[in-house]
Amino acid sequence: MFDFFKKKTKENVEVIGAPLKGEVVESSAINDPTFAEEMLGKGLAIKPAEGKVYAPFDGTVAMVFDTKHAISLASDKGAEVLIHVGLDTVMLKGEHYTAHVENGAVVKKGDLLLEFDMAAIAEAGYDTITPVVICNTDDYKDIVRMTGKTVEPGEPVMELEK
Amino acid sequence: MQEFTYVIKDELGIHARPAGLLVKEAKQFTSTITLACGDKKSAAKGLMGVMGMAVKCGNEVTVSAEGDDEVAAIEAMKTFFENNL
Repeated sequence: MFDFFKKKTKENVEVIGAPLKGEVVESSAINDPTFAEEMLGKGLAIKPAEGKVYAPFDGTVAMVFDTKHAISLASDKGAEVLIHVGLDTVMLKGEHYTAHVENGAVVKKGDLLLEFDMAAIAEAGYDTITPVVICNTDDYKDIVRMTGKTVEPGEPVMELEK
Repeated sequence: MQEFTYVIKDELGIHARPAGLLVKEAKQFTSTITLACGDKKSAAKGLMGVMGMAVKCGNEVTVSAEGDDEVAAIEAMKTFFENNL
C-alpha cells in the first residue's frame, strides 16, 4: 500500500513518538514562516488537545528555554528535536508554562516534560500549535511524517532514516 | 582566523527563530564558525548547540571563523548579528 505502512526493520530507522496529544498536521499549516518553511529543520506540528508535553523518546534534555515555551532533546539514537509550544510564545516570558525537567535531565519516552495552560495562552492571543522539528535534519536520508491523524502521546509520528 | 565581538541588543536574546537563521547563514560558508559567550561555546552550524547557549540580551558574543572563506564568513555573520540581534 503506502510506503510508510511497510514495517521497516532496518536499524538505521528511528521512530519519534508524539510529544503531545492532538491532531498531527504538516508544517505548511503553521502560521509562522520560520516553521512553515522548515527553516529550523523538517518536522510537523501538533494542534494540542491538552496542555502537556511528554518525552518523544528515551534521551536527554538538551535545553529547556528559560521562558519554558520550548524544549530541545537529544535521543539516545542521535535525533535532535525541538518542541516549540505555540507561536511567538517567547513573548509570554514563561507565563502559563511549567517545566518538570531541567537541562541535562535523562528522560524515558512518555515522561512529562512541560505543562502549559492552553486556555490562558489562547486568551493572551497566541496560537498553541506546537511545531516538532528535527534540528539535525541533514543527518538523515529521509524523514517520514505521519500527518493527518489524531494521536495519543507516544504514538509514532515520524520515522527518521539514516 | 577572523573574529568579532557583539553585544546582543535583541530583548529576547538568541531564541529559536534567530538561532535557526544564524545557523542557515553560517552553513553558507565552508569555514569553521564558532560562537563563544561566557564559558559557553558552540559551532555556529549546529542548531541545538546555538540554542543551548541561551544567549541573552546584553551578553557579549565572540564569533570566530577559520577556513578558506573566513573573511567573507565573518563579514556575513557580522551583518547578520547587526540586522537581527
